[in-house]
Amino acid sequence: MPFISKINRQSDYNLFRSATPLVIDNGASYFRIGWAGEDDPRVIFRNIVQRPRHKTTGETVTIVGDHDPALLKYFDCTRSGPRSAFDSNVVYQFEIMEYILDFGFDRMGANGSEIDHPVLITECVCNPVQSRSKMGELLFETYGVPSIAFGVDAAFSYKYNQLQGICDRDGLAMCPGFTTTHVIPFIDGEPMYKGCCRTNVGGYHVTNYLKQLLSLKYPYHMGRFTWEKVEDLKMEHCYIAQDYISEAKLFQRGTKEAEEKTRLWQLPWVPPPTEEPPSEEEIARKAAIKEKLGQRLREMAEAKRSSKINELENELHGLEFLLNQLEQVAESDIPSFLAETGYVSRQEIESARNRTTQSLRKAKGEPKSEQTETEKADSSNNEKYSLVNVADEMLTPEQLIEKKKQLSIKSMSEGRMRLKQKRQEAELERERKQQLEEEKRLENPELYLEQLHAKYKDLSEKVDQRKRLKTNGGHTNGNNLSGGVGRGERLNAAQRERMRLLTTAAFDRGKGEDTFGAKDEDWQLYKLMSRDNDDDDEGPDEDDAELARISSRLQDLDPTFVPKLETSTSQTAEVPRARPLTKEDFQIVFGVERFRCPEILFNPNWVAVDQVGLDEMAGVSMRRLSYKDESLESRLTSSILLTGGSSLFPGIIERLEAGIRMIRPCGSPIKIVRALDPVMDAWRGASAYASGPQFHTQTFSKMDYYEKGEDWLRSYQLKYSL
Amino acid sequence: MEPEVVEAELVLPSYLSFKKVQMYEKYPKGQSRGRHWKHLKQIIQAENYQNYPPEEPNYVNIESPPSMHPCKKICDITGFEAPYYDPRTNLRYANTEVFKIIRSLPNEYVQRYLALRNAQVVLK
Repeated sequence: MPFISKINRQSDYNLFRSATPLVIDNGASYFRIGWAGEDDPRVIFRNIVQRPRHKTTGETVTIVGDHDPALLKYFDCTRSGPRSAFDSNVVYQFEIMEYILDFGFDRMGANGSEIDHPVLITECVCNPVQSRSKMGELLFETYGVPSIAFGVDAAFSYKYNQLQGICDRDGLAMCPGFTTTHVIPFIDGEPMYKGCCRTNVGGYHVTNYLKQLLSLKYPYHMGRFTWEKVEDLKMEHCYIAQDYISEAKLFQRGTKEAEEKTRLWQLPWVPPPTEEPPSEEEIARKAAIKEKLGQRLREMAEAKRSSKINELENELHGLEFLLNQLEQVAESDIPSFLAETGYVSRQEIESARNRTTQSLRKAKGEPKSEQTETEKADSSNNEKYSLVNVADEMLTPEQLIEKKKQLSIKSMSEGRMRLKQKRQEAELERERKQQLEEEKRLENPELYLEQLHAKYKDLSEKVDQRKRLKTNGGHTNGNNLSGGVGRGERLNAAQRERMRLLTTAAFDRGKGEDTFGAKDEDWQLYKLMSRDNDDDDEGPDEDDAELARISSRLQDLDPTFVPKLETSTSQTAEVPRARPLTKEDFQIVFGVERFRCPEILFNPNWVAVDQVGLDEMAGVSMRRLSYKDESLESRLTSSILLTGGSSLFPGIIERLEAGIRMIRPCGSPIKIVRALDPVMDAWRGASAYASGPQFHTQTFSKMDYYEKGEDWLRSYQLKYSL
Repeated sequence: MEPEVVEAELVLPSYLSFKKVQMYEKYPKGQSRGRHWKHLKQIIQAENYQNYPPEEPNYVNIESPPSMHPCKKICDITGFEAPYYDPRTNLRYANTEVFKIIRSLPNEYVQRYLALRNAQVVLK
């Protein structure tokens, strides 16, 4: 908002005689106070009060009007926002009003014991008497004002412009203000309140509408849209469309004209630092560091390994030494000899030695000498399984147990051998196959590659289909990508079939004759029901392995080959990647909003105010006058004055003319003019009025106020033409 | 208080010589005084306008009547002419693109759009 407040303290208060009236334009948005007869008010400020707490001292203070926001940083304004004494142009909170008057008089330089000047103060049309009397009481009792006059701001503005020859004695004053819009007909220079009408829509609503729309459109920048900023934007960019719908169509079609009318507000935006690709040196340096680290790790691993080998070798030596010693020791001395070493028997030491040798071999990275092992096993087989071939009858019970043990060990080792053999055979087979393929490839590389590709395609399709079948059942409806999770999508085909069987079994009972069990196949049902579905995994496994093999082979042979991605991973909802914020993300675009917001003056029901708009108000006003006088109505429409802050929107006059032309008979004269200064003229008119010689006849004193009573105050009305 | 605040005379002084009754006398500190003002609705009710002749203008009867023209339907999101209405969200919309948008809007935003024309769902 342009900082239009004037709040400097005036120093010449005492130079004015006590008969000079003080003129106050008490508007819902701005408070203006000055001396009668002057051209401009002395003090202007927003008609708001804040009561924040001082951050350091913690005391609640009163701040009236708008100030440099930089100074408000010392105060905690979060608890209470700016408050207004107005509701729909009627003053209803007189405590706030008193703060405002305090501030206004103080800045005028008042320093006596009371305000010893008559006061002319504006109010809304047909102000409720309670508000008027409270205002009178406040001025008389608290400030000691000698006399008061109440007038209507729009009327003062009209009279002022009439004096300047802008409009005639008969005419309409249309005043879209801050919270309300008034239309007042004037006849013979006097406002006719019975022809008045008021719609509760004004600049406040326009700003609020714009603020809401912008913060809904740009939720990320909501904090930017402060009241003051939006008010600023409204005053700078909003205009009234000649015809809303056709103007909106321009924007909907995205025409060039609309593009030109679109305004951009670039919020402060700093481009993120662009990362430069690292230089050669940098890369080399990094590689060197990496290499060095790797070297160190390798060395560490090597050292660890050699120390382990050392350790194991020492252990082995110790054990061998022990065994040697043991051979020299007499049989009977063994237990006492072993007690020192911690081993119980010779076998234990031997097995420990075997273990150590094995781990030593492993540590040294030598392959397990299976051959020797098996040979050893073979050689020792006879003594190992000594009891196996002996008949049971010849054995003692202990030996029987031993035999059982040996039997089981033998069968296990035999099984292992068989498995090993099988594996070897499979390997041989694979090698053979590979050789075959290699031969094929060498014979005709192109054909081979083609075949491989075809095979890959076939297989991958097969695997895919099986996967789909498994997750989606028989009928793929094609929208398993949409992510709808119904019963069908959650169960696989087999589970679903099982569910179906269960439900039919549960609910088919009692339906006609029960023939279950008559046929043998019926009993198969239970098998199907009880079966869990881990039986269909073998097939795909094989195929998967084959697929992996082919794809790896293809990757080896064909550099252009790209293996298809797992379909299941691509099916999971694609997560939108966080993209870096660009300049465009910090742009606030005003397109339709530019004329959509002020349009509520003409269509108040867009903001849920079910009343006529500005253009229709003229017709309502003339209808209410009910003079049925064509010539008077023509005179009224040929002198329409637009005043009030919201009449500043560009295009409002043309739009209003078009609107009024629609409700007037064909050929009626229509002339609409904007006031010289729609914002300031009300105060100027009031100032001129209060400086007139007859002003004192229109005021009333404290005595009048208390003697004449409320009924008189209700019908009190200023006579504007003196 | 900071010197610049004092210099700007930002804070309204509590004592003003031209007042016959000071603010702190009228509204003493520490006393709960409740709400000492009436809402506009209460003020209007207390005026008893029904006791006065209807042709006499007063605050209530100078209000404008509802419009005679049908309300222009505009898209709640874009402001374009809105031939369509979404029964699920109650929003008006201009075309399919806007429809996609409104169906993807979270309910909070739908309600805020509706609140612009006072059509939001109010839970009581």
